[in-house]
Amino acid sequence: MRELKFSQALNEALHQEMERDEDVFVLGQDVGKMGGDFGVTKGLWKKYGEKRVIDTPLSEAAMVGLSNGAAFTGLRPVVEIMFADFITECFDQIVNNAAKAHYMFGGQLTAPMVLRTASGGGFRAAYHHSQNPEAWLMNIPGITVVAPSTPYEAKGLLTASIRSENPIIFFEHKMLYSTSGEVPEEPYTLKLGKAEVKKEGKDVTVIASMKMCEYAMKAAEELADKGVSVEVIDPRTLVPFDRETIFDSVAKTNRVVVAYEAPKTGGYGAEIAGMLNDEMFEFLKAPVKRVASLDSPVAFSPKLEDHIIPEYSQVLDGIKEVIDY
Amino acid sequence: MELTVDKLKQMYYDMNLIRRFEEKVDEHSKKGNIPGFIHLSIGQEACQTGVMHALKETDYKFPDHRSHGVCLLAGSPKEKVMAEIFAKKTGLCEGKGGSMHIADVEVGNMGNNAIEGSITASGLGTAYASKYRGEDNVTAVFMGDGTCGRGELHESMNMASNLKVPLIYVLVNNGYAISTRAEEAHAFPEHLSDRAAGYDIPAEVVDGNDVEKVYETMNRAVQRARKGEGPSMIELLTYRWQGHFSGDPASYRPEDEVEKWKEEKCPIKNLREKLEKRDVKPETLDKLEEDALQEVNEMVEFALNSPEPELEDAIKYIYAEKYESMKEGK
Repeated sequence: MRELKFSQALNEALHQEMERDEDVFVLGQDVGKMGGDFGVTKGLWKKYGEKRVIDTPLSEAAMVGLSNGAAFTGLRPVVEIMFADFITECFDQIVNNAAKAHYMFGGQLTAPMVLRTASGGGFRAAYHHSQNPEAWLMNIPGITVVAPSTPYEAKGLLTASIRSENPIIFFEHKMLYSTSGEVPEEPYTLKLGKAEVKKEGKDVTVIASMKMCEYAMKAAEELADKGVSVEVIDPRTLVPFDRETIFDSVAKTNRVVVAYEAPKTGGYGAEIAGMLNDEMFEFLKAPVKRVASLDSPVAFSPKLEDHIIPEYSQVLDGIKEVIDY
Repeated sequence: MELTVDKLKQMYYDMNLIRRFEEKVDEHSKKGNIPGFIHLSIGQEACQTGVMHALKETDYKFPDHRSHGVCLLAGSPKEKVMAEIFAKKTGLCEGKGGSMHIADVEVGNMGNNAIEGSITASGLGTAYASKYRGEDNVTAVFMGDGTCGRGELHESMNMASNLKVPLIYVLVNNGYAISTRAEEAHAFPEHLSDRAAGYDIPAEVVDGNDVEKVYETMNRAVQRARKGEGPSMIELLTYRWQGHFSGDPASYRPEDEVEKWKEEKCPIKNLREKLEKRDVKPETLDKLEEDALQEVNEMVEFALNSPEPELEDAIKYIYAEKYESMKEGK
């Protein structure tokens, strides 16, 4: 099968969905003639014009507000928030409008909009262009949080998100944009709320999404040589979280590591640890290990950033610690 | 063009209906029959009535924090507005919205949102949708003077102007954001709508207690929007007779100020005088008042006798599309 970069896979999903459904439109800063800061919206403006591809001012609240209002009437906006850090500028529209419109108006309104945004560290871009705010969004009933780790997932999950009736926050880890993988040419969807067992194993379960999934796969390979069988699960969506797949795995391996790039405290790994404590306690032979960032801002100095964000070796060490417990 | 007597009589009825409605809501809030915060619009009835009469059912309406009048005139079954405020299952939102969050999408009421300014941004979206589809519907977003401090409004005006969407900002300036007067908190406090010019949006200021003027001003803005000439702002100068919420003694305002507005500027009294001058008999107007009260009493009866939501409703409508893997709400 042909290979695409992560950013190209997203771009293809947008092209195909805009072709399929004329209610789909795109808005964001520099998404038009420039094609997006990371090239994800490349070619859309030329093909579909300024009505369906809007270059906006630096107005995240109005951009997401516009998306919500348009979605209330049945259109399907895909709004790009250039960096996930800028979500703070439109948080009200996400929390108090998109998430609650369906509920508080007794099911009358739906907000089928997708908010795409680039998250994660590694670019030396520091405090305001590097954060991993998944957990901020996970605490808002009504919001769906999607987090792909490969080009194949990027396309399938974005297509599914655009077709969903729910408001969706779609995280794109910026270190993944240039990674490549096999992607089918035809449009396809991956089920939201369904985790993927990336590699089967029997000794320990590693739950990891986005960039951390790459480390988990590498660790599984390295440890296989040492006779440790690692099962790697990519949740794909953090909300809803596929309990069944994870619980089945934990019932088999009895040991769990959760790797995530956000600060450790209150990150999504904390929620998974809590969930396993509530419902799978009798199956656990070791405490659930969280491998995460220091509880620190993402620093500018490369040396400090690498120290703050979990490295591959920390994922590896985390697995060993749980095995040896 | 002067409005017909029939049209004005309908407006007279509607304004009375809103006032009686608000009085009953106040009464039942204080009795404990209505939960939560209640924001009344007694004294502002001409704003809501004049604006709503200039709109069609297919236009998008976003009511403000003092929403009841707009919700009543949008075309919904009115008893369901009352039931919603009473948190009853028979309400427009099945009792999940309450006074601060009432929508009826069937009649273009897209709902008020208790975060001031939020709807100025989402109204941008319904207006864009009309333009996107080539429909002539307009969007009216109601807002108070306090909302002029919100960044979302400024982002919205900037984009609305640039995208030339059919959006009308209905600025109901009642002089106070809770206790704070415009001159204590804003630049250009005399006419808050002056800021629209900064975004190349035409604005008109009008006596918000004169229902005819409100109607005419809104009508001009609506026609502009329908013709594709873009957004407008209308600023309606008015006054709320009560405190910010039902039960607020409003001790931050001078007594004589309140009395002056009640005596000299009552929108209902003013319209009555006009109608009498146009040879409508006092008994005809009395009858309209009685009918309005009667209709409101029936709404209260309906609300009082309606059931509350069921406990399972707590986790209903969290997601429009269900997820197999999710135990919703747990």
